[in-house]
Amino acid sequence: MHISEGVLSGPVLIAGAALAVAGTAIGLKKIDYDHIVHVAILASAFFVAALIHVNIGPSSAHLILNGIVGLLLGFSAFPAILTALLLQSIFFQYGGLTALGVNTVVMAAPAVAVHYLFLPFIGRSPRMTFIMGFLSGMAAILFSSLLLGLALWFTDENFFKTSLAVILANLPVMVIEGIVTGFCVSFLLKVYPEIISKKKANHD
Amino acid sequence: MIEEPFAQGTSFIHNMEPRIKILAAFALSLAASLCSHFSIIRVYLLISVILVTAARLNFGALAKRLKPLFLFLSMIWFILPLTFEGRVLYHYGRIRITEPGILLSAMITFKSITIVLVFTALVATMTVASLGNGLHRLHLPDKLVFLLLMCYRYIAVIEEEYNRLLRAAKFRGFIPRTDLHSYKTFACLAGMLFVRASLRAQRVHKAMLCRGFNGKFHTLDVFLPNRFNSIFLRAIVCMSLGLFIYEQIWF
Amino acid sequence: MAENTGIIRLEDISYSYPGTDSKVLDHLNLEIFQGDRIGMIAPNGTGKTTLLHTIMGLCKPDGGTITIFGNALKNEKDFLPVRSKIGLLFQDSDDQLFCPTVMEDVAFGPLNLGFSHGQAVDMAKKTLESLGMSAFEQSITHRLSGGQKRLVALAAVLAMNPRVLLLDEPTAGLDNTVKERLIHILNQLDISYLVISHEFDFVSAVTDKIYSMENGRVLTNAGINIHHHDHVRKHSTLISTEYSLPGFFLEVQQHKKKALKK
Repeated sequence: MHISEGVLSGPVLIAGAALAVAGTAIGLKKIDYDHIVHVAILASAFFVAALIHVNIGPSSAHLILNGIVGLLLGFSAFPAILTALLLQSIFFQYGGLTALGVNTVVMAAPAVAVHYLFLPFIGRSPRMTFIMGFLSGMAAILFSSLLLGLALWFTDENFFKTSLAVILANLPVMVIEGIVTGFCVSFLLKVYPEIISKKKANHD
Repeated sequence: MIEEPFAQGTSFIHNMEPRIKILAAFALSLAASLCSHFSIIRVYLLISVILVTAARLNFGALAKRLKPLFLFLSMIWFILPLTFEGRVLYHYGRIRITEPGILLSAMITFKSITIVLVFTALVATMTVASLGNGLHRLHLPDKLVFLLLMCYRYIAVIEEEYNRLLRAAKFRGFIPRTDLHSYKTFACLAGMLFVRASLRAQRVHKAMLCRGFNGKFHTLDVFLPNRFNSIFLRAIVCMSLGLFIYEQIWF
Repeated sequence: MAENTGIIRLEDISYSYPGTDSKVLDHLNLEIFQGDRIGMIAPNGTGKTTLLHTIMGLCKPDGGTITIFGNALKNEKDFLPVRSKIGLLFQDSDDQLFCPTVMEDVAFGPLNLGFSHGQAVDMAKKTLESLGMSAFEQSITHRLSGGQKRLVALAAVLAMNPRVLLLDEPTAGLDNTVKERLIHILNQLDISYLVISHEFDFVSAVTDKIYSMENGRVLTNAGINIHHHDHVRKHSTLISTEYSLPGFFLEVQQHKKKALKK
């Protein structure tokens, strides 16, 4: 989910950039040099996951999975998502340079929120894990679309209807991201629980 | 496979130092995004067209690159004139097309095309390796540059792994549909990507330790200082700043 | 270095993966001497990669002692100086080539050793040239073919001027042309090495003695000697199809090695 260049007003772009810088700075501070490769290659996986298209009836949508990235990386999701978005704009011209800050906040802030809201409940029981995974995926998209709507609304009050349309259009995406994230988290916990452990595993 | 169709070339823009191109792209796109008058945005658009022409980009690849943008713009032209409040230009029953909606759509069209062209001409004309080098020399945090280069390096590797996994699933009769089974399958595929990414990260980290990695990351400078670079940068920055100030005072 | 002590000595090394009981390495002993060219052929899952990672200090053994260049190594800090003198070629070149361009990758080691940019670039250029890879200096790493990646990875290791090379399945996934190039390169090197591989032909073409691994230990004795080329062929099919060679020590004799080189 991203906003293209040329839509948002100056103040919104600048506020987005400032928040993105702050989030990225905190995220970078939390990554030590033993862990940076991990964050980088998970960011590559996040980039590739966005190329996965799933069917929704006759149409299709690509996965976003910022919820998973949040669960796996916490605050480090900020630099990871910033990196992936920058590469997306270089390769595909999705988003772009001036909107990079806003787009990073739109994707990464919900990821961080999901980390703190739902991770503590994951792993208590298989059912709880799936439900919390589902909520993580859904909430991440819900928050993202709300943030995107806000960015539009702050740009021009006339964008109000457009903002509503953005949020409504993302409703099916929320459900699908919820389902996929739920299954994905359950899968990860089964085959490779270290990746999702709350204390940072010492990958050695 | 990700492609960088514009990264290789022989134009003077391709030969410029990454640092200069990043700064120039940043100044121009920021100024353009802050602009709000048609007479000014036209100048930016002209500059961006000149830059793209100077970079001698492949036209087909450029058109392909602009496709998502045009899809987005057609959506804008469909939604904004109908939803914005203001002087009604035309109405049919309850459907009204407003002047502010049309004007804003036109403005967004100008701006986004300008910024995308600037980005393509100045940033997409270098490899990500050069971009990382440039950002490093602009004193962005080491860790961030490192993250960018590593992430870039392993995208192709992980994409190949994804294609292999998907192929294997299809060989075993998996047909993507709109049902829970399909979503579960894709969830496992995505999960597998994250698992493999994490395992690979451990191996890469080991390989780095084997080669004496000690927390310091190096990029190699391959660009010589060149007077033309600084003239170009000054020209672009002065132009952007000039237009910005002119717009603030005059309008 | 004294004649009678190995440059790498593992004594009584045991290792099991964290959280499991089964021992991957079980009181293992191994000694590598200056000038040794050792091949190691064993089935998958016998702990060969773990063995190499233990030598590099990437896996911490549960017990036993590691002595390298005469020093007993215990913690991470002890291993740091050693890592630049032992070159490990990883099984998957993509793990090893993590820089965006070939030049940056090959120069990465020398830069970490404290050489200046100019010196590091020079060393990288020379190493690439010696492997016939000069044309790829400015190439983007992930766009190389599998064979090119392997040779660049080897260059990256050799650029640090190691005293010993450890090669983990260097021929995996390579076609015959690259394999032959690799044989040629290894036979011209003047350093000790240990090669892990599934391919008997390859191992016998580049090494003087062949070990095996079983139940977490290295087997160097109780063997058969191979005198003739024909035997090699016969055994090579046996090994490559079934890996059913536990407990064999294959000493490929000097004259045979020379024959294969030609």
